[in-house]
Amino acid sequence: MNRNYIFLATLMILLAAGLLILPERHNYQQIKPEDLMWDIVQTQRYVTTDQVAQMIIEGDPTLELIDVRSAKEFESFSLTNTINIPLDSLMSPNYSDYLGIEDINVVFYSNDDIKADQAWVIAKRMGYNSLYVMDGGLNCWIKTIIKPIEPPETASLSEHDLYQFRKGASVYFTGAKIAAPDENNKASVKIVRRKKGAAVAGGC
Amino acid sequence: MGPLIPQGIITGQWDFVIALLIGAAFGFILEASGFSSSRNIVGVFYGYNFVVLRVFFTAMIVAMVGLLFFSYFGWIDLNLVFVLPTYVNAMLLGGFIMGLGFVIGGFCPGTSYTAVAIGKIDGMVFTVGTFIGVLIFSEAFPLFENFYTANNLGGITIGEMFSVTNEVVAFIFVLMAIVAFYVTWLIEKKVRKNMTEYKFE
Amino acid sequence: MNANSNMKNQPKYINPYFGGILLGILLLATFYLAGRGLSATGAVKLSVVTIMDKIAPVHTENNTFYSRFIPEDGSSPMFNWLVFAAIGTLFGGMLSGAIFGRLKKLRIEHSPKISARTRLIAAGIGGILFGIGSQFGRGCSSGAALSGTASLSLGGLIVMALMFGIGYVFAYFFRKLWI
Repeated sequence: MNRNYIFLATLMILLAAGLLILPERHNYQQIKPEDLMWDIVQTQRYVTTDQVAQMIIEGDPTLELIDVRSAKEFESFSLTNTINIPLDSLMSPNYSDYLGIEDINVVFYSNDDIKADQAWVIAKRMGYNSLYVMDGGLNCWIKTIIKPIEPPETASLSEHDLYQFRKGASVYFTGAKIAAPDENNKASVKIVRRKKGAAVAGGC
Repeated sequence: MGPLIPQGIITGQWDFVIALLIGAAFGFILEASGFSSSRNIVGVFYGYNFVVLRVFFTAMIVAMVGLLFFSYFGWIDLNLVFVLPTYVNAMLLGGFIMGLGFVIGGFCPGTSYTAVAIGKIDGMVFTVGTFIGVLIFSEAFPLFENFYTANNLGGITIGEMFSVTNEVVAFIFVLMAIVAFYVTWLIEKKVRKNMTEYKFE
Repeated sequence: MNANSNMKNQPKYINPYFGGILLGILLLATFYLAGRGLSATGAVKLSVVTIMDKIAPVHTENNTFYSRFIPEDGSSPMFNWLVFAAIGTLFGGMLSGAIFGRLKKLRIEHSPKISARTRLIAAGIGGILFGIGSQFGRGCSSGAALSGTASLSLGGLIVMALMFGIGYVFAYFFRKLWI
């Protein structure tokens, strides 16, 4: 038999065997460092707790809240209809279905906004878009939505409006405590046109 | 990175130019390998000429291993590569009919084009036959519409079916192909000993 | 690996393994560029759809098979990657035939045991079977069996295994056509 054929056959087997023994490697789509730096210094990624509260109350279908705290913390308290993806498993393929859904805005939150910011950078580097961070995290949430402070009587009308909204939201989230969302509902997403013009703003 | 056209990296009418060039390369390789002759092709079924098996399996393992390496180095996103959806029932019937057509007609559609290109009338008749076949199929389609889409497994890969990784599948294919090359070489030698005259055109 | 020494009139073909490697690289390039494999019958299907759409547009609209290939924006189904690739195949074959001296006058290749007429009938039947089979199999030997299996599709493997397997099963009955 021709020696060249033996050589070619061996080469082909070695190449195929090479595929088997190669260490696992992930090829994430990453954004360029300059673009990432630019995005990091921007503040558009922050949404206020008021905006989040309004979206939850209105049942905004484009909102996807992701709790990046540990599962234990998530068990003890979380916002409604939240998906728990602990920060260290954000890159796990189990959760990749939750990111990068068309027309869905992902809002990360943690106790403060540091962990959520980290999650934002990681997800951004993985190439996802429409990512936001809840400004101030759950601490701010408690301070503004759950236990809002009444503004002094001399405060402007808009501040009183905001207080009224927060008061209402507080009742919504605490008094009329809805039943815990069941597991299956968490990931289900309905696409409906997003309502424009949120009237609320301000926060921590 | 790749694939380029589905990601819009190559756009406009350029993809048709590329299609033309790829088609031309395809035709050239088929003709140069001897696929414009039906007696050459059908030799695979009678043991006197295994050129089809050689070209086919070599191309398959090269492309398969290459694709996995491209994916490994991140040059191509396998999720964007079209994986032929699997309709078990229709594909079993289709494979059956095509196998019959193969051994009767001696061509497959791609090779019949190259036979047409070098002036073979049998290739032309075969090509016209494929048109008639598609016409018959389309006209009769309402009769077996349900069968056509029955048992749809979607874009399932061989690895997913047998729950092994793609790399293992490719390795097994390479080994099988090389064993097949060796065995068919032995068979061909034996069969050809008894054939003194075999004229190609 | 040269068993050809006792063959007369052996034409000049390239080494099949070399051809296979070239074809494999071409297939890989096609995957890289277009994200899909090679195809031959797609163009036939689109031509049939186009012709029938010209002859009987109402009929094609009612047929659920035709209608899925007619673009909704009113453009011609022929303006498609597959059609251009098929035209290219014809030119490529012609080029290779011209280079290796096989591009000659019209002729029919057949086994000395059968007449040219028998060969043409067999070719026609084979073509019709391939036309029908390729629609069931979602592609022919290049589209489903080669490209499908190379992209690790289970369907490609099914078509390939059946096609060659059935070929061997029936080879005995049609041996007169060839040897």
